[in-house]
Amino acid sequence: MRHSRAAYPLTWRVMDVLERLAAAVWPSSFQRGLPYLMLLPAVVLVGLLVLGLIQIGDSSLRTLDTSTFMMSENYTLANYQRALSEKFFATVAGRSLVGAVIVTVVTLIFAFPYAYLMVRTPSSALRKFLLVALFLPFFIGQVVRAYGWLIILGNQGMVNEALGLVGVPPMRLLYNYPAVLFGLVQYMLPFAVLMLAPALTAIPAELESAASSLGAGWVRTFRHVVLPLARPGLVGAGLVVVTLSLTDFAIPAILGGGSQDFIANAIYDQFFRTSDQGLGATLSLLLVAVGSILVGVVFMLFGAGTLAMGDERK
Amino acid sequence: MGIVSTDLHKAGAIAVSVKDVGMVFGNVHAVRSASFDLPKGKFLTILGPSGSGKTTLLRMIAGFDKPTSGEIFINGQPVSAVPPHKRAIGMVFQKLALFPHMTAAENVAFPLKMRRHDARTIGEKVERYLELVRLGGYGGRRINELSGGQQQRVAIARALVFEPDLLLLDEPLAALDRKLREEMQLEFRRIQRELGVTTINVTHDQREALVVSDEVIVMDGGEIQQKAQPVHAYRSPANAFVANFIGVTNFIDGKVSAISGSTVSVESNGQVLAGVVAADGAPLVDGSACSGAVRAEQIRIASARTALEGLETIVEGQVTDSIFEGERMVYEVTVPALGGAILRVFDHDPVSHLQFGPGENVRLGWNAKDMHVFKK
Repeated sequence: MRHSRAAYPLTWRVMDVLERLAAAVWPSSFQRGLPYLMLLPAVVLVGLLVLGLIQIGDSSLRTLDTSTFMMSENYTLANYQRALSEKFFATVAGRSLVGAVIVTVVTLIFAFPYAYLMVRTPSSALRKFLLVALFLPFFIGQVVRAYGWLIILGNQGMVNEALGLVGVPPMRLLYNYPAVLFGLVQYMLPFAVLMLAPALTAIPAELESAASSLGAGWVRTFRHVVLPLARPGLVGAGLVVVTLSLTDFAIPAILGGGSQDFIANAIYDQFFRTSDQGLGATLSLLLVAVGSILVGVVFMLFGAGTLAMGDERK
Repeated sequence: MGIVSTDLHKAGAIAVSVKDVGMVFGNVHAVRSASFDLPKGKFLTILGPSGSGKTTLLRMIAGFDKPTSGEIFINGQPVSAVPPHKRAIGMVFQKLALFPHMTAAENVAFPLKMRRHDARTIGEKVERYLELVRLGGYGGRRINELSGGQQQRVAIARALVFEPDLLLLDEPLAALDRKLREEMQLEFRRIQRELGVTTINVTHDQREALVVSDEVIVMDGGEIQQKAQPVHAYRSPANAFVANFIGVTNFIDGKVSAISGSTVSVESNGQVLAGVVAADGAPLVDGSACSGAVRAEQIRIASARTALEGLETIVEGQVTDSIFEGERMVYEVTVPALGGAILRVFDHDPVSHLQFGPGENVRLGWNAKDMHVFKK
């Protein structure tokens, strides 16, 4: 008896019971419906999001009556007119877009060697170290990390103290555009590395050996072999970084100190400071539109990169 | 051989010279004190099982790994300090390593561009080499649009187009099915003869080594076991490892009971068998433990002793297994007189269709000159 129990362990028995239960609840004649059923939670979630978008679209067409603080009953395009004509919103939009592009370029430049080293190093200890160093910031959270930078970069912060030791007077390192971009790059780096690493893993190391035996030094091997083959990873990582930084809220709010608002901060202000739901909704929809167009243009120019699945991947 | 190669060296006709080369990874000796000279224009195959150090040796010649001891000379020049892209070596890789983002022609043009050849001559040269590998007109195809054999040919053209001093083949045929592999072996041979390029091929396929090479080096445990022409390595293996690795060989263990000149008598289980001292093997003395090696195809099989007239050694046995392989029968025969040893016998007899089934009593016979006796 003992013997047979060892041959048929408890976990198997549990699975048997579960399978029998599943068969009773979901007879095999329903099998074809199973994949659709599993799709259901995702469809519901996206569906709710679409409902929300419709609600926002509705709000965006109503203006705020400043005497009653009620939304107007009739539809008007006044909010769109304000959003597109007022200089303040143009400045915020320009700051966000330019910032997102700069952050993406800088992040990809930093992430590429990191991902390459992580993929190619023969030392598993170094690979593990790089991976842990990558994941550690994830556990800390964006807001806490931004506060960390406040401490490090503040007027009495570590950096200024270190500069003071070599005779440099304290500098204002915070609450300006570079500080926001710096914070965003630091925040985006792990995402970019994690998107790039699989693409680099897919490039056989033998191709680099081949290039070198065919007469290419490392610069030309990189230029003619590694870079073109890493393009799907660069496009995928770039798309993720550009959308995340375009819509980021916490870093511009904290490291920008209110003077470096991105679009998300302007939306927040409309909803929660001036309580102008209409204008906030308008700005939100415009952000969705700009982001979608940006991603669409990249898709058309470069393909979807690693975000494209299956045969489409080139 | 020794004298010939030094004469050639003086004439500058040695393409590759490997001197006491060793490679240590951690505490593993991947290659131990390997030395050989390869004359220009020859086709050398380094043959060995996996882990024998053959690929490590090739990678050192290519420049991907640096020897921990010894030196490699290419055209008389030491190359340890020369990086791979500065060596004039064409290499066909195990997985071909074709660039998937380029067409066949772009792949072949790559080394010419990297070596800054005159752009006006590149197109014509690429076409010429694609024709050499019988891929004329396929230049515009992407790599994934080509069959396995065609990809092989692109890889060969790419490795040869810049007219390297040396062509290295790192088991590029290992992944192909048998028919295609045999076709490509002959193709390698044809192209090598046509261009006269010095070639070093690495493989674990003994048939390939015999078919394509002018010279064979057999490696095991990081050491060179024998360097010889294919026929010589097959007919006169230097030791039991070589005899076992190339071809199918039966070993009969015993001890030397008498020795005179090249003939030797081996005593095994009370039987005395006549054989010859392995020509390139370690010297034998009276009474030393030894092993007699007989090739499976050099043993005749028959039901009656009369059919084996003229053979010097005849033993009785019983068939334990018989396998039909098409062009030949393979028998496994238990021989009680040799302590129940099981001998494998190839019988190529397309005319009589004679077959023995399991359990049948048979007689086996071979000539004394076909039993090579090695020191154990």
